[in-house]
Amino acid sequence: MSPSRRVLDARGLACPQPVILTRKALAEGGFSELEVIVNTSSGRENVARFAGHAGCTIGSIEESGEETRIVIQPPVANWSGPTSTESLAEATMPPVEPGIQTVFLSGRTIGRGDDELGALLMRGFLYTLTESETVPQRVLLMNSGVTLAAEGSEHLENLRRLVDLGVEILACGTCLEFYKLTDQLAVGRVSNMQEIAEFLLQGKALSL
Amino acid sequence: MMVLATFLSTHAALRAEQELTGELSVELIPVPRQIRSDCGFGLLVGPLDPPGAGRAAEILKGKGATGLWRVFELDSPTSRRKEKRYEPIP
Repeated sequence: MSPSRRVLDARGLACPQPVILTRKALAEGGFSELEVIVNTSSGRENVARFAGHAGCTIGSIEESGEETRIVIQPPVANWSGPTSTESLAEATMPPVEPGIQTVFLSGRTIGRGDDELGALLMRGFLYTLTESETVPQRVLLMNSGVTLAAEGSEHLENLRRLVDLGVEILACGTCLEFYKLTDQLAVGRVSNMQEIAEFLLQGKALSL
Repeated sequence: MMVLATFLSTHAALRAEQELTGELSVELIPVPRQIRSDCGFGLLVGPLDPPGAGRAAEILKGKGATGLWRVFELDSPTSRRKEKRYEPIP
């Protein structure tokens, strides 16, 4: 069978649209290769990562100028994507172990009230996490939570200790951009609403 | 080793941290459950050699510390983390 290729032009689309369209195309199927064209670095990284999570093979990633062409091969020809009985999270994410897997920090402080106390509690929480027997698989940072992982943050040492323990730190790209911190993420990697929502919907998540 | 200081209040611990930053390598941490304290947060100082620990303890006393401990890290047979042992400093 000769390979059939579908081309998905996601240029000029803001995060997380390229990932959403990639997921939709993979679910529709009917091709053996999907070529996704993006022109943002976050689009390139997020599409490639999503394809990996979804069990696809990355055939090639070609950059020319600001454009990147990512060729994705579904696990089998005419793969139909996640079946209707299988949740998207199950189809795209690795198996989940018992216990809290995801900690969601949506602010730079813990709780509402005095900000100095809230910041202190956050420091205490992250330090205690580094000392705990069990650690989550990931910490998701959203809204002002992304400042925890930015240059100059008093939490960097604790976050780096968590990374050393195998915890992945994911910061919302929209939030980094909003706070003008895109170039100042000191620990972890940039993520997007699609990925963050999927991790939260898997359950086993703790929101602070 | 390290030195852990406890304080009467969270405000006292925060103030001591601000005053000692730059002078000592300090970290504000929740006080471990093995140690009783009026306040949930304490200052962890170090790593230090024994004379340095003695000097740090004196400085911390001057900043209002109400309890002082030497902290030793030990390899744990059951965990990849080091166990901590606390010895009170009179």
